[in-house]
Amino acid sequence: MRSEPSLMSLTAVASAIADKQLSSREVTQSCLDRIAKWQPHLNAFMAIEADEALKAADAADAALAKGGRHGKLHGVPLAHKDMYYEAGKVVTCGSRIRRDFVATTTSTALQRLKDAGTVRLGSLQMAEFAYGPTGHNAHFGPVHNPFALPHVTGGSSSGSGSAVAARLTFAALGSDTGGSIRMPAHFCGVTGLKTTVGRVSRAGAMPLSQSLDTVGPLARTAEDCAVLLGLMAGADPADPTASALPVPDYAAAIAQSMKGLTVGVPSAFYVDDLDSEVASVLDATIVTLKREGANVVQVDLPDQRQLSSASQLVLAVEAAAFHKRWMIERPQDYGPQVMMRLQNGLAISGVTYLEALRWRGPALAAHNAATAKVDAVIAPVSPVPAPTIAESDVGSSPGAEAVIQRLTRFTRPINYLGLPSLSIPSGFTRGGLPVGLQLVGRSFDEATILRIGAAFQRATDFHEKVPQLP
Amino acid sequence: MTRPTEKEIGAIASAAGVPVDTEIAARIAGSIGPAFDGFAAIAGTLPFDLEPSTFTLVQTEKAAR
Repeated sequence: MRSEPSLMSLTAVASAIADKQLSSREVTQSCLDRIAKWQPHLNAFMAIEADEALKAADAADAALAKGGRHGKLHGVPLAHKDMYYEAGKVVTCGSRIRRDFVATTTSTALQRLKDAGTVRLGSLQMAEFAYGPTGHNAHFGPVHNPFALPHVTGGSSSGSGSAVAARLTFAALGSDTGGSIRMPAHFCGVTGLKTTVGRVSRAGAMPLSQSLDTVGPLARTAEDCAVLLGLMAGADPADPTASALPVPDYAAAIAQSMKGLTVGVPSAFYVDDLDSEVASVLDATIVTLKREGANVVQVDLPDQRQLSSASQLVLAVEAAAFHKRWMIERPQDYGPQVMMRLQNGLAISGVTYLEALRWRGPALAAHNAATAKVDAVIAPVSPVPAPTIAESDVGSSPGAEAVIQRLTRFTRPINYLGLPSLSIPSGFTRGGLPVGLQLVGRSFDEATILRIGAAFQRATDFHEKVPQLP
Repeated sequence: MTRPTEKEIGAIASAAGVPVDTEIAARIAGSIGPAFDGFAAIAGTLPFDLEPSTFTLVQTEKAAR
C-alpha cells in the first residue's frame, strides 16, 4: 500500500488516512509524483498546485494528529474539471475567454467536498465551455487517453476521465449535459455517474444548458461514486432547481447484491449498428448480470431518435443564449468547433425551443411506462470505443463530424429525460481500449444503479486495470 | 415541422442579434437540420395545457413511489 498510495481507491485511501496508516502528505505526494510522470503525455491537468496541495495535506495531518477529522474524505487529494468555481482561483472553463477569470464564489458541490476534508491538487482540462464530446480543445490542446495515447478521452470532462484513469486523482467532478461524464468514463475505463437533473446543486458550476446540465463524479469504482454523491446531493438555497427530496444512504445500497433486481436490455436503437467489440462486451455483461442474480429482460423503449433531437434543440438554444454576449463581442476568442455548435442555436425559433421543452414531461412519462417492470436499463455509452484524436478532429479530418455525431447517439436521450446513468468499465477491445456500459435508472434512484454497478465490480476486475506509460 | 432554410436561419439569427452570413447559415442548416427532422413528429401535436414544468412533476411522481 505504501509503495504507491495513488493506486488505491478513494474509499480505501480515505480509510487509510483516517486510521493513520498513511498520512495525507504521503498520499498527496504519491499523486503529485504520478502527475509529474503522466502529465507530459496526457495534458490532463489545467493547473497543478503542488506546493499548496502539500501545505493543505500537512494541515490535514496536523488536524488529525490533534484528534480533529473534518469529514469522510479528510486529507484526500482531488482535482476537478476546471468549471467549478472556487473563490480566489482561476477557473478557465477550458476557454480563452475565461483564461484569467477569478471566481468570487465557491460552487456548492465543490464546497461540500471541501467540507468533507478534501485537499485540492489543481484543476483538470476540459472541452471549451464543456461543449464538445471528444476531448479536443483548440486553446489548450487535446487530452490523451491513458490506455492509448493517440486516442481521445471523450468529453467534455476530458481531464477528469484521463486523470482518474491514470490514477493521478482518486476522483474528479465532471458535468454531463449530453454525455460529458459517461463518454470519458467509457473511453478511459473509469466509473462515471450522471446524476438525475436536480439531484446535485449546480450553483457555482459553469452553465451550458440550464435544463440539461448535471453535476457528477468520475471515480475508480461505483462505491467511490456513491460516497461522493452522498456528500454532494441535496437541497441548496443557492440553487432553487436542486431537489429537496431526501438523500438516500447510498453506502447501504451498494452493499447489497443485485439479486432480485430486473435489468432491461433495449430491443432496438441501443443495440443497433454497434462496433462488434462493443456488442461482445454487452453480451458478456448480460451473462455476468444473470450470473450475479439479476433478472435480465428485453424492453421496448419509445423512439429514442425523437428524444435525441429534442435534446439537441434544447441544448443548442440554451447554450447560444448563455454565450450570446461573447458571440457578439468576442467571436474570435472561441475555438472553431465550439463557435459552430453555438451558432446552431441561432437557427431555432422560440416556439420550437419551447415545444422541445414542453414535450419533456410526456416523454419521461412514456419512458417510465415502458420501463415500469425493470429497475434499470443497460446500454452501451457509445456504439464505438475511443476513436483517434486525428480522425475526430474537425478541420483536419473530413469525416470527423460524422464520427462525432455517432459518439453521442446513446447519451443525449438520457439527458433529455433527466435520468441518472452510471457508466461502468465493462471490458476491453483486443487493442486494449476500454469499453463502458451505462446503467440507466429511474429519476432520483441513483441508489439502484450504484448497487448494480458495485455488485458488478465485485464480480469483475475491469475497473482495476491500471494503464501503463509506453 | 420542416428544417429551416438558409434564408430563415439568416433572419432568425439577425433577429437574435447575432447575424451570420449565407455560408454559415448553410452550414448551420446542414448541422441542425437532422434535429428538426427527428422532432417533426412531435412538433405541433402537444396538448394546449402542457407546461414545461410537467417534467418536474413526472420526475417526482416516480421518485415518490
